[in-house]
Amino acid sequence: MKGLKVLKGEIGWLKKNGLQVLLVVVLTLVCAVYLFPIYWTVVTSLKTNSEVFSRPPIFFPSSFTLSNFYTSADVFRAVSQTAVGSVPWMIDSTIIAVVATLVSTFLIAAPAAYALVRYIRSSWLARLILFMTMIPEAVFVVPFFIIVAKISLLNTWWGLILVYISFSAPFSTWLLMGFFNDVPKSVEEAAQIDGLSPYQIFYRISLRLVTPGIIAALILSFISCWNELLYALVITYSPFPAGAQTVPLFLTSFIIVEKSFAWGGLAAAGIFTMLPTLIMGIYAQRYLARGLTLGSVKG
Amino acid sequence: MSEVVIEGVTKKFGKTVVLDNVSLKISAKEYFVLLGPSGSGKSTLLRLIAGLEDITDGSIYIGDRKVNDLLPKERNVAMVFQNYALYPHMNVFDNIALPLRVRGRSKEDTTRKVRAVSETLHIYGLLEKKPKQISGGEQQRVALARALVRDPTVFLLDEPLSNLDAKLRVEARAFLKKLQKELGITTIFVTHDQAEATTIATRMAVLNKGSITQVDDPYELYARPNDVFTAGFVGSPSMNLVHGTARRVGSGWEFHNEDLNVELGGKKLESEGEVIMGVRPEQIAVEKGGGGLMGSVSYLELLGSISYVTVNVGSTALIVQLTGRPDMEIGDTARVRFRPEGILLFDTRTGRRIDLAKV
Amino acid sequence: MRRGQALRVGLILASPIIVYFVAFFIYPLYTLFQNAFTSASGAISLDNFRTMLSDPLLSVSLSNTAYYFVGSVALEYGIGFAVAVLLYNYTGRLRSIFRTAIFIPLMVSPVVIGLMWLMILNTNYGPLDYMLSFFGAGGINWLGSQSLAMPSLILANTWEYSPFVFLIIYAGLQTVPQQLYEAASVDGLTRFQTFRMITLPSIRPSIVVAFLLNSIGVLKGFDLIYVLTNGGPGYSTYILSFYTYVVGFSFFQPHYAAAIALLFLAIIGTFIFLMLRFTAVEDYLGLKKGKGE
Repeated sequence: MKGLKVLKGEIGWLKKNGLQVLLVVVLTLVCAVYLFPIYWTVVTSLKTNSEVFSRPPIFFPSSFTLSNFYTSADVFRAVSQTAVGSVPWMIDSTIIAVVATLVSTFLIAAPAAYALVRYIRSSWLARLILFMTMIPEAVFVVPFFIIVAKISLLNTWWGLILVYISFSAPFSTWLLMGFFNDVPKSVEEAAQIDGLSPYQIFYRISLRLVTPGIIAALILSFISCWNELLYALVITYSPFPAGAQTVPLFLTSFIIVEKSFAWGGLAAAGIFTMLPTLIMGIYAQRYLARGLTLGSVKG
Repeated sequence: MSEVVIEGVTKKFGKTVVLDNVSLKISAKEYFVLLGPSGSGKSTLLRLIAGLEDITDGSIYIGDRKVNDLLPKERNVAMVFQNYALYPHMNVFDNIALPLRVRGRSKEDTTRKVRAVSETLHIYGLLEKKPKQISGGEQQRVALARALVRDPTVFLLDEPLSNLDAKLRVEARAFLKKLQKELGITTIFVTHDQAEATTIATRMAVLNKGSITQVDDPYELYARPNDVFTAGFVGSPSMNLVHGTARRVGSGWEFHNEDLNVELGGKKLESEGEVIMGVRPEQIAVEKGGGGLMGSVSYLELLGSISYVTVNVGSTALIVQLTGRPDMEIGDTARVRFRPEGILLFDTRTGRRIDLAKV
Repeated sequence: MRRGQALRVGLILASPIIVYFVAFFIYPLYTLFQNAFTSASGAISLDNFRTMLSDPLLSVSLSNTAYYFVGSVALEYGIGFAVAVLLYNYTGRLRSIFRTAIFIPLMVSPVVIGLMWLMILNTNYGPLDYMLSFFGAGGINWLGSQSLAMPSLILANTWEYSPFVFLIIYAGLQTVPQQLYEAASVDGLTRFQTFRMITLPSIRPSIVVAFLLNSIGVLKGFDLIYVLTNGGPGYSTYILSFYTYVVGFSFFQPHYAAAIALLFLAIIGTFIFLMLRFTAVEDYLGLKKGKGE
């Protein structure tokens, strides 16, 4: 009798919580699938060469080594020794991404977004901005190449920076428009009455009130510049002098050139590449939801 | 010196006319109130005076200057918004100091003035805090401080008390009135709350759908409203407004509809016709029992020292004021008596009050 | 502020982006049109478009693109949507951990993703093949066989993009007011009915946006193909974006490339157009005219 009661209690609990338990199981599986490639890469970077190329593949290596990181760093350095100025590729990527992001967000997107929301209130222009964010890279590759070549900025930082700004600016503008729209008009009007000029209002008041948007724009912009491949490929295609080779190019040339498939080193290089964007992304999750969905959801 | 003159001002947003040929003269040092329901154009008028919107037609003068084309900052006006519009990212001191800093005042000067103003408004201890750290009433005073720190010529307030709870609102009203008197600044106050308006105004204008219906001191507006709208809007509970006709009866005149006949006691009109009768609740007396103008009690509102009784005479509902506690209940029969002096008549077609001559 | 003054301020603030717009949008577009309608000899003609009609590589690219598109979007959308619904229904404390985990693929560079999958899909040393061999499906050359290269690509792309769909749908689900569900449970609706009649209609915007953005994203994709297959083996993973690049920079035919680019733009343009139509820009920006008090 008592046993029956306990059983009934258990079934009751299971009925109520059964769904949740099932969900946990399924979700864990899902996350495992999403995280596995990353896990695999991390593990590979820490394996010795013999363990990397083993069949069956080893999921839990018995020994760890950091030599792959040195190797890839070496490769970084070795290749860059032929570069003018001998700057490691990471620094190339960093400088380009940072400069492009800062210029595009503060000098171009923020004022444009503010102007569109408060002064030039045209839905057609807003749609145009949105349109520009969705154009594929491949469409403009040839024209951009020609433009950059014409102003003799091929294979330079500024060449790539200018190109990156051209697709980072519309996106950041679109993102910031939503944020600027949320700034209460009355605060700006109070500033008007207090005597500030429109530009002062923009700089001292409105801009300070869209900080979450700015953060989202900076991070998303940085990530897209950091990860960009096609334009870097095209605009910095000459290996010598490799004045502005970004990390994605390093990885791809590694893959294509290093037919020996030095996967350990490659995995390590991949980790290097991934780390900045991953850390930024996780840290700023909240801010990014809104940006990534192009403002369709006020995540 | 700092009087405000509004001449024939019209404001359109696209095709919509929000203000229609409005003219108004506000004297210096006056505490003037713009009263009206939402959509009447009162806030728009205030914003036109401030310079936040452009005038479609007409002119506005502040002092002797025509300010139509002047930017807000050139007009030397100050404004307090309904939601205070404090700068969220600055502390209270910086909020108040901003107007001065923008005008290039020296640091000592600025600090001195800010301290002085914040002492007057009792917010001296809050100077380091940010707006979201202080209460609603305190925020309001910071908004006031920011407005006053510039010694403006005109002080504009757009429903600044609407966000305060009832008790604070009453205190703030008195505070504002006292402050205004001390500082002697021309003040224009916008509200939709007629009780608030009548309490604080020296003179007020009632707006309806973009036009001014009447400009007068509060008591005149209450006792002698110019039209049906104003009559119904000012005073709470509202004036009783009943449709019917005015006609001769014997040597006198009376108001008549299917439910009532009310003698007009020694007043006459030019001609018979359809009218709207207006009587304030305190001008009607009600007693329990039958006879006379009879009706049934349908509702009671007890407010402590006075009560309001709703009596349905036929299909006409009348609200009557009573001192103390009523001795009747819902469903009882009661009779009403009108005080002839309290009866106002309005033309049904135009809504304007009909001047009644003595017989 | 007068209309004229306002416009002037706006133009000054927007001047940098206007410069960019002209230099990096109008001008390139102009050169594209110019080049597309110019033959190799320099005369104005429709040669390029005629070539398009008989270009075998182009038709392969187009059919590949269709394959890639349908496969990717179906999987990504389905999985992303399902995961969003799953996580939404989960009410435990691990929620944010799950969400972060699912969010991670979006943060990884496509090039690195290609690299990862290159290693995983390797026949000899990759874990995928190994795990599948337990089901008797091992020893397959994923990236090396013409018939399997595309599915492999789709797989990697799904890993990369389904979190994107997830993000949109999940965020949309969270905007549904709790009270609707409470009303539904009072009215006696089953879970399934609630989902069908309350949840789905409420997230209709997210559903559409997710689909459109997903589609656009898939069509734009370049990096993954370049790294994983470089168009091969053979031409089995040539898709339109990749082909556009190839024509420009491997074949060095700027005129034909321009024509292809325009074609590409036109195709993806339909989705972009739909997206523009669908986005209530006016609401987003508060551009509605109208005045209250």
